[in-house]
Amino acid sequence: MTRFAFAAAAAFAATPALADMAVSIPFAAEIAGQPFACTQTYAGLGRTRAEVQAVDFRLFVSNPALIRADGSLQSMTLDQDGAWQLGDLALLDFEDASGACANGTAGMNTTLRGTVPEGEYTGLSFTIGVPFDQNHIDPTQAPAPLNTTAMFWNWQGGYKFLRIDMVPTDRKNDGPRGWFLHLGSTMCDAASKTEAPTACKNGNRMEIRLDGFDIAQGTVVIDPAPVVAGADLRANAPDTSPGCMSFPGDADCMTVMAALGLGYMDVPAATQSLVAQR
Amino acid sequence: MGLVGAAALADPVAVAPFAWPMPAWIVPPHVPDDNPMSAAKVDLGRHLFHDARLSRDSTVACASCHVQALGFADGRPRGLGINDTPSTLNVPGLANVGYLPALTWANPHMDSLEFQALVPLFGETPEEMGGAGQEVAIFARLAADPWYRTAFAAAFPDRPAPDLFTITRALAAYQRSLIAVNAPYDRYKYRGEVDALSAAAKRGEQLFFDHRFECYHCHSGIHFTNNLRTARQPQGEVGFHNTGLYESYPATAPGLIELTGRPEDAGRFRTPSLRNVAVTAPYMHDGSIPDLRGVIAHYAGGGRAPGHPQKDGMIVGFTPTEAEIDDLIAFLESLTDRDFLTDPRHADPWPPGHPAVATRRMPAP
Ligand code: HEC
Ligand code: HEC
Repeated sequence: MTRFAFAAAAAFAATPALADMAVSIPFAAEIAGQPFACTQTYAGLGRTRAEVQAVDFRLFVSNPALIRADGSLQSMTLDQDGAWQLGDLALLDFEDASGACANGTAGMNTTLRGTVPEGEYTGLSFTIGVPFDQNHIDPTQAPAPLNTTAMFWNWQGGYKFLRIDMVPTDRKNDGPRGWFLHLGSTMCDAASKTEAPTACKNGNRMEIRLDGFDIAQGTVVIDPAPVVAGADLRANAPDTSPGCMSFPGDADCMTVMAALGLGYMDVPAATQSLVAQR
Repeated sequence: MGLVGAAALADPVAVAPFAWPMPAWIVPPHVPDDNPMSAAKVDLGRHLFHDARLSRDSTVACASCHVQALGFADGRPRGLGINDTPSTLNVPGLANVGYLPALTWANPHMDSLEFQALVPLFGETPEEMGGAGQEVAIFARLAADPWYRTAFAAAFPDRPAPDLFTITRALAAYQRSLIAVNAPYDRYKYRGEVDALSAAAKRGEQLFFDHRFECYHCHSGIHFTNNLRTARQPQGEVGFHNTGLYESYPATAPGLIELTGRPEDAGRFRTPSLRNVAVTAPYMHDGSIPDLRGVIAHYAGGGRAPGHPQKDGMIVGFTPTEAEIDDLIAFLESLTDRDFLTDPRHADPWPPGHPAVATRRMPAP
């Protein structure tokens, strides 16, 4: 009797939520089609077919939405788990601090978890990047996951949106200590020289739209191999950051940024080839 | 091992008010609301600043690149971080750094010492202390030290553990306490000690503030820089200039343009303070000028590379006599606060052999 009343009350309280359904979207990190692991090496990358060890693989995803049959967007409400998901933002983390991932964390997070209103959905969209209004806050006071030091990019006033760190095992003698793919905003100007930036010339956020993504069965695959296909991972342009870190003037970025779907200096954007669905 | 240190280490400072180490008539620097000064916090910050355990492998402290005897610069053209990784730029001295509203050589957004500390701690391009991703291990290492257990509790009663907030706040409070206003020039200028300056330095002062040399336009005010924010200024004043150091500034250090993207910001760097400048050689943002004579030659030529289109209009060039150069150098030397370089309130507190410093690397003397 008491039990029944309790259950009824619970059902009543939950009524408004009855129209919501839970969604969990799995992401897979791969390198040249092989699952990413901190203990693995990968062959045949880039213009010179380099062999690399991957030592980090993390990215911020924001503003996730499902695509309705009519093409409109239904934003997904992320579960606020106090660790990986904050507001409309999530940190996806594929490394587990084992093997070569020396700067990693043991915890991993490979899904987006949240709710949407019950309905028919035919696709998925999201942004790779931290939204502007969360990107220029004080990281010493930010809640998780914005307190992850490995994702700080603070001298540019923001976070790394994407970090995929590769170390060539057969690098040239004077080759780089690693070939790092770091995406973040650059050239963030402010109204006055003592204010926080109001805008960044190069926001460098990737808008991903996967039409036809199967919400129940599909997996989002992140693979940097096609992105670095035109780059030499055994070498680094002199006097530039190791790899491509989005900063203008880095010859190592010339073929890379376009393949992320972003314009870079005078190289126009191409179709992004980092993210695919399966 | 802990005992060796503990024996010689002073007890953490109990809650006590903070007194600025300077005469009352000088307005203190701006202090952010979330980080009021306290003696306990400054003392904690001093310990952290000199503690190499803040780096990934306990070899690099802030003090490995910021040495008190050198005005908290390091004497090298560029800093040297973990695994002998060179810094991109020259290490600035830290005297009166709390007064600077925009920190580092060319970053208008680097507006607090709290925020700036994250760069050496966790920065990766280049790595300085190599802490990215290591914060849990680093905080645990500090928390295990009994001295810190008392000191964090004294400085942050509501939040008594090492974390991103407390460490950056304590480091910032210590750095704000690094006040150097007792140079011979201060004694001469503000305290009426007419003999505190040599005759040469007095002549040099006239040249520095002269329209032929134009130095004072940018190196202005109490700290000889047009960058200033005191406790009385709601907003700081900032000044970035291109002094014509390069015909084309290299991509590694393009100046303010790196952040703003504005072509007119090419080669613009923040005017450095000239306090203690005689002990912070080599000079300029990339340490490319070895001595003060070289700096004066740079300005005399209207810039080492006078043709840069964005060169500041105040860099006009002049033809000094040898005697004038000597006088100007004597003046710049009179800006050194000798007491600051040895002041025990700012000094390395760790006894030799303590785990904080046992594997710490310092620049060769
Ligand atoms: C590997 C050498 C190195 C280490 C270690 C280091 N710094 Fe620095 N520091 C530098 C360099 C180089 C600059 C100039 C950077 C720039 O302009 O981008 C700098 C600049 C600064 C500035 C700005 C000064 C100004 O005039 O604007 C402050 C403040 C500072 N460091 C504090 C610290 C603190 C606090 C630590 C320890 C947490 C630290 N530094 C550790 C090399 C170092
Ligand atoms: C237009 C503004 C301006 C004028 C005028 C100017 N300076 Fe500078 N000064 C700067 C800036 C900006 C820098 C840093 C430039 C860089 O690193 O590229 C600097 C650097 C220096 C340095 C090196 C400090 C250090 O810590 O590395 C010294 C010394 C110096 N100036 C002295 C002088 C003297 C002496 C004069 C007059 C002959 C003078 N300056 C005139 C703006 C100016």
